[in-house]
Amino acid sequence: MAIDYGPASTGVARGAPPPGGFGVAAGPGAAVIRVPAALGELDRVAAFVLDLGERAALPHDALYRLRLAADELATNIVMHGYRGASGEITVDGGIDPDQVWIRFQDDAPAFDPRQGMRPPALDRPLAERRIGGLGVYLAFTAVDVFAYDLVAGRNVSTLVMLRRAEPRPPGGTDADHGPIE
Amino acid sequence: MSFDVRLRVDERTAVIDLSGELDAATAPRFHDTIDQAATAGAIELVIHAKQLSYLSSAGLRSLVFARQKMGDEVRIAVVGAPEPVARTIRLAGFDHSIHLVDA
Repeated sequence: MAIDYGPASTGVARGAPPPGGFGVAAGPGAAVIRVPAALGELDRVAAFVLDLGERAALPHDALYRLRLAADELATNIVMHGYRGASGEITVDGGIDPDQVWIRFQDDAPAFDPRQGMRPPALDRPLAERRIGGLGVYLAFTAVDVFAYDLVAGRNVSTLVMLRRAEPRPPGGTDADHGPIE
Repeated sequence: MSFDVRLRVDERTAVIDLSGELDAATAPRFHDTIDQAATAGAIELVIHAKQLSYLSSAGLRSLVFARQKMGDEVRIAVVGAPEPVARTIRLAGFDHSIHLVDA
């Protein structure tokens, strides 16, 4: 799976994407929701992602992973961004010919969620593990791109899932996950 | 999006049935149920996950809590987890100390 370990550069500004980056442009296929920064509200983020992925005919496996990444990111914004303070998360997303993207914007203190990522310490007994950072790790490994930018004081995180497989036929299965590369 | 968790203790085996979506909003209920199971003195914890359609890191956190609360001698098994759920458990490396059965 291609993972963007490079500098955070998503081309979130509308217009031409930066060289080598994953551009997202809010076009006719884009949608947006605003949700309060509270765990009990994150169902709406999941519903938004699932709807977008269904419309893009993402295979079930890819859609599950995109939803997982979005859920972990949104949870992270609530818990570590706003830290219990009231606030709002703006979520938009779109379907491009080669990718589906979800973008999160919030006004919590500047905070790159990827900095908190911590791969599981497999050499330690489970009961002694520090679990912080696991959600971001799951998100990072679930999608093709997990990018972050600070734009005019706002935190902007973007998740991208490439559209690799053929669209599912109506009522079809997700048996074919498509080629990895 | 729904979530349900049920606990029964047979002899000294605690059985937890999970269904629906286990995320940050619903994990506290799972956490509380694990606490009850540990308090009941179970020596084995069996978590039926066939109907669990979604698992986030919040649910994984509860599994760590189960391991911490119940001690190393208690066998913990997750049974019948759907593939995406099982994959998350494996990716986090939890399958070394929690048995994945029929997954």
